[in-house]
Amino acid sequence: MEPIRLTHASCSVPGKTLLHDLSVTLAGRRIGLIGRNGSGKTTLLRLIAGLVAPSAGTVRLGETDPFADRKAALRKIGILFQNPDHQILFPTVEEELAFGLTQLGQPQAQALALAKARLAAEGREDWTKRAVSTLSHGQKQWLCLQAILLMGPETLLLDEPFAALDLPTETRLRRQLARLPQRLITIAHRPDDLSDCDEVLWLEAGRLAGFGPPAQVLPGFIAEMTRLGAEDAP
Amino acid sequence: MLSLTSPVETPAHGWRVGPKLLALAGLTLGLFLPAPGWPALALALAVLVAAALAAGRWAILAAWLRLFRPLWPFALLLILWHGVTRTPLEGAVILLRMAAAMGAANLVTMTTRLADLQGLVLWLMRPLAPILPAKPLAIAIALMIRFVPVMSDRAAQLAQAWPARSSRRARARLMAPRALAALDDADRVAEALRARGGAL
Amino acid sequence: MERHLTHVALFAAMIAALGLIPRFEVFPGLGITAQSMGVMLCGTILGARLGGMAAGLFVLVLLLGLPIWAGGQGGVGLLATGKVGFILGFPFAAFAAGWVMSRLKGAVGVAAFAASVLGGMIVLYAFGIPGMAWGLGKSLAEAAVICLSFIPGDLVKAALAAGITSAVAKARPAALLSRG
Repeated sequence: MEPIRLTHASCSVPGKTLLHDLSVTLAGRRIGLIGRNGSGKTTLLRLIAGLVAPSAGTVRLGETDPFADRKAALRKIGILFQNPDHQILFPTVEEELAFGLTQLGQPQAQALALAKARLAAEGREDWTKRAVSTLSHGQKQWLCLQAILLMGPETLLLDEPFAALDLPTETRLRRQLARLPQRLITIAHRPDDLSDCDEVLWLEAGRLAGFGPPAQVLPGFIAEMTRLGAEDAP
Repeated sequence: MLSLTSPVETPAHGWRVGPKLLALAGLTLGLFLPAPGWPALALALAVLVAAALAAGRWAILAAWLRLFRPLWPFALLLILWHGVTRTPLEGAVILLRMAAAMGAANLVTMTTRLADLQGLVLWLMRPLAPILPAKPLAIAIALMIRFVPVMSDRAAQLAQAWPARSSRRARARLMAPRALAALDDADRVAEALRARGGAL
Repeated sequence: MERHLTHVALFAAMIAALGLIPRFEVFPGLGITAQSMGVMLCGTILGARLGGMAAGLFVLVLLLGLPIWAGGQGGVGLLATGKVGFILGFPFAAFAAGWVMSRLKGAVGVAAFAASVLGGMIVLYAFGIPGMAWGLGKSLAEAAVICLSFIPGDLVKAALAAGITSAVAKARPAALLSRG
């Protein structure tokens, strides 16, 4: 798997710098992204996915610039947002699954057939013509995941995929994700979620506060969070 | 979102869309050409009966009849108007040819799949491709259909909070967050679309 | 590009959803619906071009056979009724409202009200009245009299559209594409 390399990458919007001068190489298979709210985790994910351009520095997936070369980026990386309602574009399950394949150049008929085959492989062939509006939240999240997996990316970015899921659905989704051969970069809030990661990236106020195996980064993170929690809010 | 296409398969489902629409256009033109009089009445009646017979034979009569609902206010208006002015023939012609045109058109709608109609529209718009390319249009159609249930759920929530006697300002204050939500959704969905390769 | 597409699609969906709000019925089947308010909002928020496209997309999908006209009506059959003018006039009304919105300086609420009246009422009636005259076999003057009953309801809608547009402008000034 190609490493993801950020070199002095910054990201700002008018009036605010969201990420400062990040230099890091992500090469592990399970990578966790941790930090307080507003520390820039989602921005970092969007930067790696090529949805925003760095205002300074570079982002590379292997040799590819994900913002400039969308076509290549499409084959290498996929992103799952928090809310499936913002991610599903088509009214029926098969159309939603087939879209990514047509974007990669497949003819519509073939894409629909592959979508149906994938549903059958997952034991959900009866979903083929179902309206997306009839799916539950967890089912929609599953659909979004399948839609991205069908495109066969090497790396999957997950923006708090378990938020708003009930416990059984969360457990099921975790199991599915654990089985995936792709590289997963997951935003997480709690240190326990990161115990089986190869690398953990800790962001604080848009800067790199720590990077390395969990045993190396987490103690410092937990200590800092505990310290902040002990103080009253400013 | 259910389209008006009948789930009951009829022979007409298999006919090609282009010829069907052309025939409909020709028929409608023929219906409206003659001035209101007995021949026009007979023609309109004939078309209406033929459409009803076809619908009956294809087992879609009940659904087809239900599609005439939009005609009620006009029927009432015409009956009153022409009753008062004592011009029943003219009123009957106007009403029947409207019904005939509508009945024939609804038959076409019921026996044509949305995907096929959409395919025809996109094919017709090929000359406009520089200003209105086919792929973004197809995505826009699908996206709209996908979001109608989402928007109407929100609208339903609104209707509950919209009692007849509430003030105008209160209603605007309720609706504004919904409009804002639609705008925010548009931004996020745009990003999801770009994440999957974009519209072009 | 994608942002424009999603705005057009979502506002078209909003017009469709507004057809489902319970209507105040003048006649059985002919009610004052919220749908034309959606058209006004397309113009006042999205502007002439995108607003017109949104309303146009709504009409296209309506004619393709989705029951999204007020009361769950749809399909090309609607073009045979007296509503044909209003249906085909939607995109022009939205465009006009957006155009007026971009031309008027000053308070957003006032501009939006003027835009809604000029676009969502006057331009729309300019299409709707001839359509109704044709469908009902009446003269333009007679059709205009029939449409008089719509005016009070439409004025309320214009006021609501103005209120909503003004609230949007306050909360997210950048989102008001009509005045970008």
